[in-house]
Amino acid sequence: MTIMMPAADQAVLARREAIVAALRKLVPGEGVISSSAEMLPYESDGLMAYRQPPMVVVLPDTTEQVSKVLKYCHENGIKVVPRGSGTSLSGGALPLADAVLLGLGKFKRVREIDFDNRAVVVEPGVTNLAISQAVAHAGFYYAPDPSSQIACSIGGNVAENSGGVHSLKYGMTTNNLLGCEIVLMSGEVIRVGGKTAETSGYDLMGIITGSEGLLGVITEITVRILQKPETARALMIGFAEVEQAGQCVADVISAGIIPGGMEMMDKPAIHAAEAFVHAGYPLDVEALLIIELDGPGVEVDELIKRVETIALGCGSTTCQISTSEQERLLFWSGRKAAFPAVGRISPDYLCMDGTIPRAALPLVLRRMKEMSAKYGLGVANVFHAGDGNLHPLILYDANKPGELQLAEDFGADILRLCVEVGGVLTGEHGVGIEKRDLMPEMFSEVDLNQQQRIKCAFDSQGLLNPGKVFPTLHRCAELGRVHVHGGKLAFPDLPRF
Amino acid sequence: MDILKVRDAQDVEQAVRAAIASEQPLEIVGHGSKRMVGQPIATNAVLDVSALNAVTSYEPNELILTVQAGAPMADVLSLIDSKNQQFSFEPMNTSQLLGTLDIGTIGGMISAGLAGPRRIQAGGARDHLLGVHAVSGFGDSYKAGGRVVKNVTGYDVCKLLAGAWGTLSVMTEVTLKVMPRAESERTLVVRGLDDIAANKAMTAALGSPFDVSGAAHLPGSALRTTQGALAEIASPDQPVTLIRLEGITASASHRAISLSVALKAFGSAEILEDAQSAALWAGVRDVTPFAASGPRAMWPVWRIVTPPASGGTLGQAIAKGSQGEVIYDWGGGLIWAALPPSADAQAVQLRKLVNAAGGHAMLIRAPESVRRAIDVFHPQPKGIAALGERVRNSFDPKNILNRGRMSRGQAT
Repeated sequence: MTIMMPAADQAVLARREAIVAALRKLVPGEGVISSSAEMLPYESDGLMAYRQPPMVVVLPDTTEQVSKVLKYCHENGIKVVPRGSGTSLSGGALPLADAVLLGLGKFKRVREIDFDNRAVVVEPGVTNLAISQAVAHAGFYYAPDPSSQIACSIGGNVAENSGGVHSLKYGMTTNNLLGCEIVLMSGEVIRVGGKTAETSGYDLMGIITGSEGLLGVITEITVRILQKPETARALMIGFAEVEQAGQCVADVISAGIIPGGMEMMDKPAIHAAEAFVHAGYPLDVEALLIIELDGPGVEVDELIKRVETIALGCGSTTCQISTSEQERLLFWSGRKAAFPAVGRISPDYLCMDGTIPRAALPLVLRRMKEMSAKYGLGVANVFHAGDGNLHPLILYDANKPGELQLAEDFGADILRLCVEVGGVLTGEHGVGIEKRDLMPEMFSEVDLNQQQRIKCAFDSQGLLNPGKVFPTLHRCAELGRVHVHGGKLAFPDLPRF
Repeated sequence: MDILKVRDAQDVEQAVRAAIASEQPLEIVGHGSKRMVGQPIATNAVLDVSALNAVTSYEPNELILTVQAGAPMADVLSLIDSKNQQFSFEPMNTSQLLGTLDIGTIGGMISAGLAGPRRIQAGGARDHLLGVHAVSGFGDSYKAGGRVVKNVTGYDVCKLLAGAWGTLSVMTEVTLKVMPRAESERTLVVRGLDDIAANKAMTAALGSPFDVSGAAHLPGSALRTTQGALAEIASPDQPVTLIRLEGITASASHRAISLSVALKAFGSAEILEDAQSAALWAGVRDVTPFAASGPRAMWPVWRIVTPPASGGTLGQAIAKGSQGEVIYDWGGGLIWAALPPSADAQAVQLRKLVNAAGGHAMLIRAPESVRRAIDVFHPQPKGIAALGERVRNSFDPKNILNRGRMSRGQAT
């Protein structure tokens, strides 16, 4: 453990029995879990290097229960960590020793399907994929598709603003939401949006989305659904140089083509994936692009030709075009299995998630190679090439003393590099605890203070998911203070008209 | 009136800090093209950001544009057009509706967040604002978001600033996502449908796999008063329903034909191409039937956002009850209503209908006396209003920036 969490409040821990008893009154039946053995599954999320048993686990199944639990915790100064399916890759749902872990897993109902308004109302524990499945019979689907879509919950998607391979064309979670119900830390229930394209007043839904469980607990979500494209086909294109692949991506976009998906893998990732799933990937290339076009058949056929021509112009050495759905899925199988494939060649790996301007890709990959040599750790890269979202997988062995620390240092260096070339720390996995201490690489204290003031507007005592996202916690009263810079005219040289 | 013409972000910081010290609210103005929208602002000090007008960087291959907030919309639009790109949310040009000479600045466009017909497919201004540099009501320059299209680092502050009408911060620089222009467009024109049938036709089109990028309906009453492209396709008193498809030529043509077959039950469709189609949608986007230069100049205009599938029912009820006129965009999800002049723009009756439909209504055009008398922005339930006010406070506790523009109680 190299990332420190806030010190546990001993006074709260001393009251644990009374707190558990009070929570049992609010959430009857099996909704409160307090034995160490039963709390074990909640000790970590997808960032498995970090574990922490919570003080107690509460699993409510109504908004009213959520509201009562939060109100009780608010009044008694008890911290709360919300959790969906626990698939966060950045530690967003990591428990705290002195906090209630509030699991939304029982919120599993699809409440309403409204095809005419192209909207589905769901509870937060419904999985991402289950939404698409619930509307598939009418040809609809929910567009954002994070790789964990079988398991991840829509509530977690909203909290993290999840993306996926199709986000260049179809957007992230925030671009596909219509409304939500959230419970504030005070227990107050707020509904924003609905079946309308826009909310009224400030875009509170926009700020809640991607707030990593720090602003409120989401108890209902209305998503926008789309008709499935008529068809989809993919090209699998190999290049002898990473630069050529990067140029190809830029040229496709310059030609006005926005593919449904545009993924790149580097040589180590290609080899690992091919050894795992035998997708027929070329092994003698430095970079592989999978470009998927979707839409009506006539459009897809035409765009496939255009992309093929562009790829040839960029010096592609191999180019296969899927001729059947089976073949298209085969092309994707290696990419989709890239993480487990890397898991086979290394005892452990860290998955990073920076975004860079696409033009900086060759430079970033070159520097990463140097870092790999410096740290003595391997790295494989998969890349949402269309939107510049990079996923370096750092290979390490947690059983070797010091290697986790080395891997984390390597990862931090990669993210610093992303910021240095004009990019950001995280494209879709969130800050959580993983990148928390790197936030000052991208944001000044003033920037972070403004974000924390927003937190104060939702949670004045800082009880909801503390220790995540922000490296330093400030009291709201301190953040809200306005400094008056003298009474004199401070802009004598400003032009006046 | 005191006008401060700022030259850079430091000037903005200084001006806001001085305003805090002297407890003098500031009205934030670019070109002033939307000054007559919102509750009248209680101040006589203007912060003019129009000199912050540089293009910081434009990288067509990265789909990224960074400009200072005071950059003229007209210049920015022609810049990205030269690279065959566009803001895919199709920002409304408010000059015809509001009767201004100028179409405003990029900062004003983001602050108003008025997306055009393609919103149903591509989202709104809030979906395309990737990063900002701004000065808060604390007098501090801060940044949020980034300069890449995919980013979840920290809170998505950009969402709050888009559509905040300058009440949270003074934006000094914005980074926007741009997208390629479609190669071709086609518009299906179906004539003679009443509002309810048109709403059904648009719902069917939007629920089809043909990737519709515009669905509008103009009742005959609204067309009677219009000028320009929309007038040219209309026969007197005959309503038209418009459905747009965009993409590569082969695809747009193919989908136009397939969709006209799918909508056969609603009547036969004429198909208009490219420039002719584009002119119609510019008219819908800019609400030309209610233009300030036309016969409806004196009528207050409401912008109503509502669940799309019941838009026809709501629009009909509004038109009937008010003796006004409506036009529909977003497949029924956006209704523009022009009502005969009155002291309160018929706010009470209109909002009663809108609330029942699950929508919200903003008075986008009305004389100052009317805007002073009623809530220009839709009144919100107590909890949301209080939360919104706390959020506003987190940016501007002294209520310096555009005081009272979005909330009637604050104008004093």
